[in-house]
Amino acid sequence: MRLVNLFRSRRAEREMTREIDSHLALLQQEFERQGFSPDAAAQAARREYGSVEQAKELHREARSVMWIDHLVKDLRYGVRNLLRTPGFTFIAVIALALGIGANGAIFSVVNAVLLRPLAYKDADRLVTVLHRGAGPVATANYIDWRNQSHSFEAMGAADYWTANLTSSSGNPAEHLYALKVTQNLLPLLGVQPLFGRLFVPGEDQQGADHEVILSYRLWQRRFNRDSNILGTPITLNGEAYTVVGVMPPSFQFAPFWATHAELWVPDAFGLSIHNRDDNHLRVFARLKSGITLTQARADVAALTARLDKEYPATNRGVVVTPLKENVVGKIETPLLLLLGAVGFVLLIACANVAHMLLARTSDRQKEIAVRTALGAGRTRVVTQFLTENLVLAMTGAFLGLLIAFGGTKALIVLSPAYIPRVETIAIDFRVLLFLLFIAVLTALSFGLIPALHAAAGNLSDALKEGGRGDSEGLHRTRLRSFLVASEFALAFVLLIGTGLMIRSFFALESIDPGFNAHNVISMIVSVAGTKEADLSHRTIFYGQLLQKIRSLPGVDSAGAINHLPLAGDLWGQSFRIEGRPAPRPGESPAAIYRIVMPGYFETMRLPLRRGRAITDRDDAREPGVVIVNERAAREYWPREDPIGKRITLDNDKNGQPVWLTVVGVAANAKQSDWAAVPDPEIYLAALQNAAFLGDVGSHIAYITLVVRGDENPAGLASAVKQVVWSFDRNLAISDVVTMDRVIADANSQTRFEMLLLGAFGTVALVLAAIGIYGVMNYSVSRRTREIGIRISLGASRFDVLRIVTQHAMLQAVVGAAIGLTGAVMLSKLMTRMLFGVQPTDPYTFAGVAVVLGFAAIVATYIPARRATRIEPMTALRNE
Amino acid sequence: MPSEEADRIAVLQGTLDLIVLRTLQTMGPQHAYAIATRLQQVSEDLLHLNQGTLYPALVRLEQQGRIKGAWGKTDSNREAKFYSITKTGEKALAQETLRWRRMAGLVDKLLSEGA
Repeated sequence: MRLVNLFRSRRAEREMTREIDSHLALLQQEFERQGFSPDAAAQAARREYGSVEQAKELHREARSVMWIDHLVKDLRYGVRNLLRTPGFTFIAVIALALGIGANGAIFSVVNAVLLRPLAYKDADRLVTVLHRGAGPVATANYIDWRNQSHSFEAMGAADYWTANLTSSSGNPAEHLYALKVTQNLLPLLGVQPLFGRLFVPGEDQQGADHEVILSYRLWQRRFNRDSNILGTPITLNGEAYTVVGVMPPSFQFAPFWATHAELWVPDAFGLSIHNRDDNHLRVFARLKSGITLTQARADVAALTARLDKEYPATNRGVVVTPLKENVVGKIETPLLLLLGAVGFVLLIACANVAHMLLARTSDRQKEIAVRTALGAGRTRVVTQFLTENLVLAMTGAFLGLLIAFGGTKALIVLSPAYIPRVETIAIDFRVLLFLLFIAVLTALSFGLIPALHAAAGNLSDALKEGGRGDSEGLHRTRLRSFLVASEFALAFVLLIGTGLMIRSFFALESIDPGFNAHNVISMIVSVAGTKEADLSHRTIFYGQLLQKIRSLPGVDSAGAINHLPLAGDLWGQSFRIEGRPAPRPGESPAAIYRIVMPGYFETMRLPLRRGRAITDRDDAREPGVVIVNERAAREYWPREDPIGKRITLDNDKNGQPVWLTVVGVAANAKQSDWAAVPDPEIYLAALQNAAFLGDVGSHIAYITLVVRGDENPAGLASAVKQVVWSFDRNLAISDVVTMDRVIADANSQTRFEMLLLGAFGTVALVLAAIGIYGVMNYSVSRRTREIGIRISLGASRFDVLRIVTQHAMLQAVVGAAIGLTGAVMLSKLMTRMLFGVQPTDPYTFAGVAVVLGFAAIVATYIPARRATRIEPMTALRNE
Repeated sequence: MPSEEADRIAVLQGTLDLIVLRTLQTMGPQHAYAIATRLQQVSEDLLHLNQGTLYPALVRLEQQGRIKGAWGKTDSNREAKFYSITKTGEKALAQETLRWRRMAGLVDKLLSEGA
C-alpha cells in the first residue's frame, strides 16, 4: 500500500486540489446563504478555511510521512539489530551474497547468449535452410530453393573462405577468415555498414566480384581506422579487392559457424552453379511477413521432395531452422541447467538464513511481546521484520553484485570457445533488474516466514516460553527441521550434478585421441597469393620448408596436414572401390579426407596398425597411394585385408579412374567431436597431386604444420615462424597452437560445466553444513538446562550425544532421501551433457551420500561435544 | 491572538481521528466541510480548527483503511468527496473508544485522588 502511495502521488495531488476547491466552494455557498456578496463570501470562506497552502502541506505530509517515517525507523532499527549480532549478520550476508552473486553471473551469460535477440533486424524472422538443420548445401540446390520457394522474403548464401592479406608496406601477411556471400545476404539481415555501402546487384557476378567489406576489428587492427579506406584496393590471395564498406563493431556474421570471419566478399558461384553434390554453402533466409515457420517448413519440404525426385539423393533432409536455434541450440540446455543449479544455491542460502532468522526470532520473542503490548499492530511487526530482512538482502545483493561482476569476468575467461556471443556478456540493465528482483524475492522468501512467526506468537505464550528458556515451540521446531532437511535435499541434487560432471570429465580425459599430443605444436601457413602458391611449386615448397624445420635444434620431427584433427575443418569425400558394382546415388562409400605431407604420422605418433606410412618417395611420379583408418577398413573391407586394394576419387582428363592403392591402416584418430567414434577416414599424399590440397581454381591454399619438439613445443613457435618467413615474408602464419591445447579445447565445454557445477556444489555443501551446524548449536544452547538436568539424573555422555544429534541426523537423512529422489528425476535432464556415465550412476549417488553424511557429522560434532561437556551445576544456574 | 488560541482545546494527536470516526459513524457519509462544521457545532466552538487542518486525519484514516472516500454530489448539487466509515473503522473505533475511556478514567481518578 505504502509503495503504491508513492507512485500515486500525482494523482493524489490532483485529488487533493479538487477536494480543497470543493470544500471552499461549499464554505462560500454557506456564506452566500448568510447574505454575503459572492466576493465577500469567497473571502470569508478562505479566512474560515485557513491557509490553503498549509492545508496542502499537511495533506502531503500525512500522505508521505507515515510510510517514510516508518521506513526510516524500521531501517535504523534493522541496521542496529543486525549490528548487534555481527556473527549472524556476517554469515547471512556472505551466504546471500554468494547465492545472489552466482545467480547474477550466470544470468548475465543467459541474458547475453539466450535472451538477447541476435544483432540483426527482426532476427526472429531469420532462418537457415540446411541439410539436417546444420549441414551445408550445394550451389545448384540453393539456386533452385531461392527461385522456387514461396515462403521467404529473400534467401541468400555464404561460403567459407580464407584470405591471405598481404601488403607492400612491410606489414606481415595475415591469414584471415572470411566469407563469400551472395549480394542479397547482408541486406537480408537488415544490417547497415558503419560507412561505405553493402554489395550492390551485379557485384556477385564473375569479373565484378572483387569488392570487400571489412569488419570493424580488422579495419581498426590492420588499417588504423583509416577513414579514407573506401575505394582503396587491398591484396587478398594475391588479387586486388576494392574496399567498399566497413561494418559497425557490433556486426558479426555468420553467428554459428565461421564466427571469426573478418571480411566479406561477393560470391560469384562460377562453375558450381551446376553442382548438386558439393555441399559447401550455408543458406540463410528471411520469412515473408505472415508466414509461420511451420508453413515455411512445409513449403521447403514439398519443394525439396520434388527436386529430390528430379535429381536423386541431392535434396534429402533439408530443414528450416530459426537462426537463433542454430546459434544457441547446443548451449541452451547446459546454460539453463546451470541457471537452475545457481537457483538451488540461492534457495539453500535462503533456507539457511531463514532458519537462522527463526532462531533469532525465538530469542527476540520477548522483545516482540513487549512491542505488541505497547500497541504495535501485527502488520507493523511484520513490516519491521521484513525491513530488517530487506536490509540483510540488500547488503547481500550489493556484495552479490560485486561477486557477479567478478564472476562474469571469470566466466568470460573460463568460457569455452563454443559459447556463442560471449563477447556480448556484460552486466547490463536487465541483469541489474534481475539482481534487484531476486534480492527482493530472497528477502521475502527467507524473511516472510520468520516475520509472520514473530508476529503470530501469542503474547502470553511468548512471555512464558521466553521465561522458561527451554526448548522451542513444536511448530517452530518443525519449520526449522523442514528448512534444514530442504537444504540437504537441494545440496544432494546439486552434488549429484557435480559428481556426474566430474565423472564425465574424467571419462573424457581418459579417451585416447588416437595420437600423442604432447610436445607437438601446430600452425597454419597460408601461401595464397604468394609465389609459393603456384601449383607446380607448392608441394616442393612444403617439402623444403619441412626439411628446414626438421633441422632446427630441439625439433624431433615435422609433418603437415590439410586440416588438423579436432581443430581444423572437415572435408568429406565419396569414392569408389575397385571391382565393386557402382553404388546407387547417395550410397557411395565416403570418408573424411585428409592430405598429408611425409612425417605427419611420425610427428603425431599416430600408429599404423598395418602397412606403411606415406613417405617422401610417394610423389607424382609414383602410383597413387592411400592410407585408411581402422574404421574405414572395418566398414569397407569387413572381411578382407584392405592393403593392396584400390579406390578412386575421380577420373583423369581422359575419363579414366585415377586409382589409389591402400598401403596402410592407421589407428582411428579423433576428428572433430572428442566424444564421438571416429568416422571412416582416408589420408592421401600431398606430394602426389598438389590439387589434393584444394580445388585448383579456388584461392584457398594453406597447410597446417605439425612439429614435435623435445619439450616445451610452444618455445619452438618463433623459430618455426622465422623459417617460414625466411622463404617469403608474404606467407601468412595463423592459429599457432599446441596439440595439448587443441585437446583441452575439445573438452572445454565439459570442463567448464564441471568447474561451475563443482563450485556451486561446494558452496551448497558448505551452506548446508553451516545450516546444520547452526541448528545444532542453537538447539544445544537452548537445551543447556535440560541437558544439565538429564546429566544430573544420571544420563551418560553417550546418551547426551545421542539425544542432541539424533534429531539433526534425522533431518540430514530425510533431506538426503528427498534429495535422492529429486536427483533421480532431475539428473535425466543432464543426459546430453554427460559422457560415459549414466544419470543414475550408483557410484556418484553413493559418493554424494558419503560426502554429505560426513559434512553433517562434522557440523554436528562441535556442538554435540559441547553438550556432553555441560556441567550440571553451571547449566542449572544458567538462565 | 495567542490568548484566543489558548482558550481553545488543542486537539490531541490521535483524538481527532477518534472524533472523525465517531462523527462518520453517527452521521453516515460526510464531506470534509460537513465534518468540520459538525465538530464545531458539537464542541460549541470550544474546539476550533482551521478547516484545512482536518485533512491529515482524513488521509491517515483512509490509509489505515478505516474510512473510505468517494466523490459525490451535495444537496445543492456541488461535487464533494464523501467519507464513510469502513468495517475496520468500526472495529478500530470500538477499540479506541475503550482505550480512551480507560485512559480518561485513569487520568480522572489520578486527578481526583490527588485532590
